[in-house]
Amino acid sequence: MKTPVSVLRLPRGPDGTSRGFDPNSPRYVALCPTTISASTGSETDAGNTEEEQRLRSELRERFLRNLIAMTGKQVQFKLYEKVQVQAKFGASDIDILNFQVSDLQTPLGVQKEALLRCQDMISFSFDL
Amino acid sequence: YSMAMRQTPLTCSGHTRPVVDLAFSGITPYGYFLISACKDGKPMLRQGDTGDWIGTFLGHKGAVWGATLNKEATKAATAAADFSAKVWDAVTGDEVLTLAHKHIVKCVNFTQDSNCLLTGGNDKVLRIYDLSKPEADPQEFSGHTSAIKKALWCNSDQQILSAAEDKTIRLWDRNTKEIVKTLSFETSVSSMEYIPDGEILVITYGRTVAFYDAHMLELIKTVDAPASIHSASLHPDKDFFVAGGDDFKLYKYDYSTKEEMESYKGHFGPVHCVRFSPDGELYASGSEDGTLRLWQTAVGKTYGLWKCVLPEELSSENTDALYCPPAEIKA
Repeated sequence: MKTPVSVLRLPRGPDGTSRGFDPNSPRYVALCPTTISASTGSETDAGNTEEEQRLRSELRERFLRNLIAMTGKQVQFKLYEKVQVQAKFGASDIDILNFQVSDLQTPLGVQKEALLRCQDMISFSFDL
Repeated sequence: YSMAMRQTPLTCSGHTRPVVDLAFSGITPYGYFLISACKDGKPMLRQGDTGDWIGTFLGHKGAVWGATLNKEATKAATAAADFSAKVWDAVTGDEVLTLAHKHIVKCVNFTQDSNCLLTGGNDKVLRIYDLSKPEADPQEFSGHTSAIKKALWCNSDQQILSAAEDKTIRLWDRNTKEIVKTLSFETSVSSMEYIPDGEILVITYGRTVAFYDAHMLELIKTVDAPASIHSASLHPDKDFFVAGGDDFKLYKYDYSTKEEMESYKGHFGPVHCVRFSPDGELYASGSEDGTLRLWQTAVGKTYGLWKCVLPEELSSENTDALYCPPAEIKA
């Protein structure tokens, strides 16, 4: 009579509560980094994912509140090619791709109404 | 003495309806993976060498007829009765793309670079989707006169092989869209497997497992089994092949001599699909009984969850084996 091959355990089945794809598995952590590798230096600490998400949410909210606070105010924009312009900020589009501004002061004169492309900006500042 | 070992299949549970298709990924830095298509509409991803469940791809609204993984196991694709094919991120489980079709989709297959997806189904048309431009219309290949069951890329993704209910297998040129060759059979082909290394095509129909040269579609050899076969797979080293079908058993044959070496009972329903793992150490079968089973190629070898236990160890207290029946040792 043949001896059946021994097994360590049975294959694990679905856990019944989630759809799986554990974000803490080595493969997930390696292939779906949630941090910018340059800012963390070496290895991603998987346990910090929740904390990082919280911080990211906070930063995002702060940025959006800044846009609200900027409305109607004079804003200095630092653009590429060492260009600086000033304008009255009107609004941003939903994807933060363009800013609607008035009385844009440019080296070539004042533009009554203009759209500034956000990708052209390095930074912008205003007085609260 | 010699101690012959009896195969202990590993049962992967979780599906609630018949498992109709399965596919392995290539070998990745994290091992290899297995995807199963099920009539319950919930394809699952498993670790290939243990069968451990990793996740379930949720989104289809009907039976999933076909499932595949790319080589790196970073993408999955599924074909379903809800008239759609879906592409998934196989790491996060997220649905990435839904490709609407006009009828039940039966099969999906990635190119080697994972950039294109081939689909086929009941509307009899093969489609190639460019995954970098998913809104663009797919290229369409018409010719089959019945539902397409299986479609595969071959010859470095320059050609396509398709099998349909019209009892033909067609070889298409991807660029000219022309049919290069057609094979006709007495009965509908039940499965097709393409082995790039060696360019071999494994086809099953009736009780026959047939091996063809994939380039010229020329017959190499045929082997007849005791029962109607639904699927077969050739070992990467081309020394064995396995087959399963209507009688619920898995058969193992010597490829050179065509002799039946072993047969294994285990499933409680017809076997719909069987495939060797990329390292050839095991093969997986999917059945009408709703389970996947993993079988060892070399029975008794330590691999994955199987452990080679010597007779002395079986009676010691140190063994952590789950199952160790009393051994009968022959001198």
